[in-house]
Amino acid sequence: MPELLVVRNLSKRFGGLRAVQDLSFSVGEGETVALIGPNGAGKTTSFNLITGYHRADAGSIRAFGRELVGMRPYDACALGLARTFQVGRPFGKMTVLANVMTGAFLRDKSPRGARTRAREAIEFVGLSAKEQTLASDLTTIDERRLEMARALATEPRLLLLDEVMAGLNPTEINQAVALVGQLSKRGLTIVIVEHVMRAIMAVASRIVVLDHGQKIAEGNPQDIVANKDVIRAYLGTGYAQEAPAGV
Amino acid sequence: MDAIKIGPRGTRALWFCVITAALIVLPLIVTKPFAIDIFIRVLLFAFIGVAWNLMGGYAKQLSLGHAAYFGLGAYTSTILLIRFGISPWIGILAGGVVAMLASLPIGALCFRLRGPYFAIATIATAQVLMLLFLKFRDFAWGAEGTTLPNLGNSPLMMQFGAKAAYYYIALAMLALGLAITYRIERSWMGYYLVAVGEDEDAAEAIGVNAPRIKRNVYLISAFLTALAGTFYVQYIYFIDPNTAFSFNVSVEAALVSIVGGIGTLWGPVVGTALLEPTSALLQSSLGSGHGGVQLTVYAVILIAVILWRPTGLVGLFTDAYARIFRTAPTRVSEASLDA
Repeated sequence: MPELLVVRNLSKRFGGLRAVQDLSFSVGEGETVALIGPNGAGKTTSFNLITGYHRADAGSIRAFGRELVGMRPYDACALGLARTFQVGRPFGKMTVLANVMTGAFLRDKSPRGARTRAREAIEFVGLSAKEQTLASDLTTIDERRLEMARALATEPRLLLLDEVMAGLNPTEINQAVALVGQLSKRGLTIVIVEHVMRAIMAVASRIVVLDHGQKIAEGNPQDIVANKDVIRAYLGTGYAQEAPAGV
Repeated sequence: MDAIKIGPRGTRALWFCVITAALIVLPLIVTKPFAIDIFIRVLLFAFIGVAWNLMGGYAKQLSLGHAAYFGLGAYTSTILLIRFGISPWIGILAGGVVAMLASLPIGALCFRLRGPYFAIATIATAQVLMLLFLKFRDFAWGAEGTTLPNLGNSPLMMQFGAKAAYYYIALAMLALGLAITYRIERSWMGYYLVAVGEDEDAAEAIGVNAPRIKRNVYLISAFLTALAGTFYVQYIYFIDPNTAFSFNVSVEAALVSIVGGIGTLWGPVVGTALLEPTSALLQSSLGSGHGGVQLTVYAVILIAVILWRPTGLVGLFTDAYARIFRTAPTRVSEASLDA
């Protein structure tokens, strides 16, 4: 499996806080990799480093044969790297269609072409009925759908999903899991940050566990839930007993 | 005026023709110089508002320093006219180019800041330019300013015997500004600008090169504002730093847009149509003795709009139109830029 994203010895400090320390992992083409860990473990910071919102103090991030450290978010996006935000950030004054069209304009500057592409993305995430709704009027699940559609409209090869399932009810989580599964089937490479373990187990082919900015474990989902370090740092002892039945 | 935007296409075209025709014959019917003067000011400030609105309204980069470009336009054409005898018709374009060039370093500095800090920085740029021109005694007449040579009725030098001529120039400039805004609003640029105004980080995540789009719209906005500057000095035959770089111009540009509705095509026009005649009529009826009254009325209007119509008066017109003709307001563009 050729590697699409290679992160090597990545470090970032905020003042005295080591948000990410010497982090290395790689993601193969077509793979879905989950980044998990307790709050403050450095998951979102890693995302921000990869997508160009923060500049790494040290280390390298390579994707699409390019070095991403020092690259601005819009340039990374043009190369095929898209992300969603932990807290949904729709353009509230625009309709759903206009939001997604804004993403689609990256590949097609004509409104007609962008509209067609945007409609495809909106249909894919199942938001067609609300095409003309103002983004500020959406429910949480629809806001997540919009975030995904907007990212998809930029036609990425690598998609970074930051807690797309937070705040969803169990039914909605199932819908979101199915959606991520479909994205993966389409051939997209996905890195997902998530707290909902049920969802992670369902979508991830590999899990990277972070704690205090460092990688403490990496492996397939079954090994990770049995890993003592991971249970102690993040999952809690209760999970170790439940997990085998649940998975 | 915004009524043009709603209803079936035919109705809209009809409205457009009626209003355009009315604007063209207006100076033939109303010939009182005082009235035409008010019309000219309305058109001019509506145009400045339109120029400001491209950046301040759509992309929400609240500039309070557009006087910088107004003044650069005014000074460029005046210097070319008096020092080199070059027609203001060329000077007006030269002024636009000078303003565009000036907007590059100013933008590079100011766009590092966001929100109120950006606004403050832009105020400073206009003030600095004013101070510079106060010192430029040799080629820009310093604080005294200068009157423009009166060449009588010479259209090639942008001087006219009839006031109506200025009216038509201002009308043409406004039409140009509105046409540019209309084109931008419906293109990818319009979407990008609104996206940057809504959430710059989220916009960058989906490939919007925010620094570049802000720079580009600032170039256009500066160019248009400079045209207004040249026109204004040609109209009043006088220039000095306090007039050309007047803070009032900066504030007016923002104010008419905010009152009318920022980020809407017709917002600045509606805002100016309300504010400018009000201020002119108050000034003439009260005289200079009651300077404060005019500002007080201004302030009351502004407070009323912010309290009851924080998105601007344009919405009021579309709602009223919808109620009268019982047509549901349809969303014009996907961007729903007038929401």
